[in-house]
Amino acid sequence: MASKHTIATRHAQGIRARFASRFLRSLLRLRRRSNRFGGSQSNDEGIGKRIRTDRIKIAAYASMARAVGPRRTWSRALLFKLRNRARIHGVSRKRCLVSEKKRVTRNKVVVAISREPSRADTLRKLVPGGDSMDTCVLLEETAHYIKCLATQVTVMQSIADRLLL
Amino acid sequence: MDLTTGSGPELDETGLDSLQLGEDIRHLIAAPSENASSFTALLELPANQAVELLHSDSGRKQYPNLTFPSNTALLERAAIFSVFHSSNSADSSSVPSNSSSKNLEKGSAVKCEQLETESYLDSCQPLVSDPTVDNSAPNARPSSKRKEREKKVKAASKKSKSESSQQEEEKLPYVHVRARRGQATDSHSLAERARREKINQRMKLLQELVPGCNKISGTALVLDEIINHVQSLQRHVEFLSMRLAAVSPGMDFNVDSLLAAESGSLIDSNFPNMAMPLMWPEAQVNGNRHQFQQHWQFDSLQQPVWGREEDSHNFITPENSHLSYDSSANSASLHSNQLKMEGRMKLHQ
Repeated sequence: MASKHTIATRHAQGIRARFASRFLRSLLRLRRRSNRFGGSQSNDEGIGKRIRTDRIKIAAYASMARAVGPRRTWSRALLFKLRNRARIHGVSRKRCLVSEKKRVTRNKVVVAISREPSRADTLRKLVPGGDSMDTCVLLEETAHYIKCLATQVTVMQSIADRLLL
Repeated sequence: MDLTTGSGPELDETGLDSLQLGEDIRHLIAAPSENASSFTALLELPANQAVELLHSDSGRKQYPNLTFPSNTALLERAAIFSVFHSSNSADSSSVPSNSSSKNLEKGSAVKCEQLETESYLDSCQPLVSDPTVDNSAPNARPSSKRKEREKKVKAASKKSKSESSQQEEEKLPYVHVRARRGQATDSHSLAERARREKINQRMKLLQELVPGCNKISGTALVLDEIINHVQSLQRHVEFLSMRLAAVSPGMDFNVDSLLAAESGSLIDSNFPNMAMPLMWPEAQVNGNRHQFQQHWQFDSLQQPVWGREEDSHNFITPENSHLSYDSSANSASLHSNQLKMEGRMKLHQ
């Protein structure tokens, strides 16, 4: 069933429809999960609005990256990052903190020459996976990323409007 | 019309006067639900045996003769629709990949006729597998040609980088790098100039994408604008997710209506520039929603007739209903019904 869905929506419907269907499905899943773990009360205060926001945001980015597919560098990098974050988040917090501290000190020692981050560098930070791209590829990926972000915004906006109405 | 009245899987042998498309579609509906793997196994058999295996009732000797014209019509439609949508969603930066996929789909559509496939969906499977095969072939040939040309022009150190980036610009005509009058003929400077031109091309594409960048001259300021735009879009996503988080605990949303609304806005927002997300598409969404209500109401009536069927059948039936409707936005509403169908499938499960 899932494979037929992907084949049917492969190129014919465009990225917007693919993202919309995936995002809606993941929203449903999120809601079902939160409903299972304690009814309606936890939705208001137990889980917390910030965590819920972050989960929805991560779901949006993940579904967008999957709708794009592994063809683009930024989508691959985004999926990889999300997968790692999920793994670290699930396993343990302690180990994560220790490794982060080490990383921070190492950076401080190495970077003696601090240059002002040029515009290309800020762009690299913004676009997922931008570190490992040269300028030419970076611009192309940015163009596609902007396009996909715009569709994401329109879809989410219409969903939010629809839900509120 | 034969299409809408023949709702059950009956194989009545109306004459050849009926739409050949309609007959083909009814055959597909009549086919017992099978796995994809068994269907592709059938493809290896010659047409007659495959036909007999599929249609257990009376032998349809006419059918193999019908296969070709009806299939070409279906596949041409498929190619046209896929082309239509790929051209819709393509911006100029992704034109190379899209146009190459267009050609591939058309080419493999021709191939599928020769395979004598009977179902539309399973012809889509070779459609999917073939592009992956065909992609390697056209990639190999132009890159080998370019390797030879580049040896004359570029320095050896630059070769690998330009090869890998040239493969992305498959469809663009190969730029002969020749030193202009008064410019250095050094291989290094030639390569750098080619690189600069590539970067400028991409910057121009980005300028078109980001609103308000056309007036700005100078790479640095344009880059600033682009960075601001990306940051604002990301902030917008975060804001919207906050809004969704606030909304969702109270309500129990109806997936169908959401998908219908999505596909309603699909049609109008596909055409205009995607870079202006904020105000304009919303107004259009509200306008078009009423227009398409009636279509979906009719489909909601049809739904209980089908009951729980596989995706393959649902994929075909919206084509039925909309062919009879003769709506102008045919292809888009086709896909809107697909979305709707899949939403319903998930709900049923």
